[in-house]
Amino acid sequence: MLNCKQASQLASRAMDEKLSFWKHTMLRMHLLLCRSCTNFTRQLYFLRDASRRSKNKHDFQLTEEAKQRITNALNDK
Amino acid sequence: MTERSDDLNVQTWLEDHGDFLFSYALLKVKDSHVAEDMVQETLLAAITAKDTFSNQSTIRTWLIGILKHKLVDRFRRESRETVISDLIDQDEGDNLEQFFNSNGSWINKPEIFPNPELAFQQKEFRKVFQQCLSGLKPRQVEVFLAKEIHGMSNEDICKNFSLNPTNVWVLMHRARLSLHKCLKIHWI
Repeated sequence: MLNCKQASQLASRAMDEKLSFWKHTMLRMHLLLCRSCTNFTRQLYFLRDASRRSKNKHDFQLTEEAKQRITNALNDK
Repeated sequence: MTERSDDLNVQTWLEDHGDFLFSYALLKVKDSHVAEDMVQETLLAAITAKDTFSNQSTIRTWLIGILKHKLVDRFRRESRETVISDLIDQDEGDNLEQFFNSNGSWINKPEIFPNPELAFQQKEFRKVFQQCLSGLKPRQVEVFLAKEIHGMSNEDICKNFSLNPTNVWVLMHRARLSLHKCLKIHWI
């Protein structure tokens, strides 16, 4: 049986890659019995959602004006 | 190798790496105009130092290295020592003991945030989220930004940051644990 440290690692890993059948099953079994890790798994989706929304709001992108300004500066060099 | 000559085509640096450098700088300086200036300074310095680019690193890692130097210079001028230490890659160790007991159970049990939909609509939340991101360890920020904000594949992340797949998921997991903890403290 997995402990929470191991289960949370697998839950995080499952966000980025497909787990093997065995790992997936072990994780499912743990989550069935563990409220904390189920909450953590839901938080992982929350974090992904928060990131996606920051991205959609262009919080982390250069504006077109900034790009133009930088391009000009680079060309002047 | 043709890939190398593409890498050294300075015209593409802004397009290919500008947003990444900007997001990294923004998390450290917390002001978008200053962050834009940092990107510009970084690219200008990179052009001058083009010949020092070594094939051992990728162009992105190299540019991030230059950006970090620029940030350290800036913070030194402002004497912000604490931020400087955030930029230096320390040994990040296992450091999961702040989250789990020796028997592998949670020290602070994760809870569900009330009403996440409402959080997303509030401007304040985006600020707190950025603050929490900027508190991550250097390697964690790089990987988290690349993956979740800039949508890079694990394969590209490994290539760009010279990491193996295990490093990537370990860094992602630590980043997520830290973000979860930080949001719990500062948001709810």
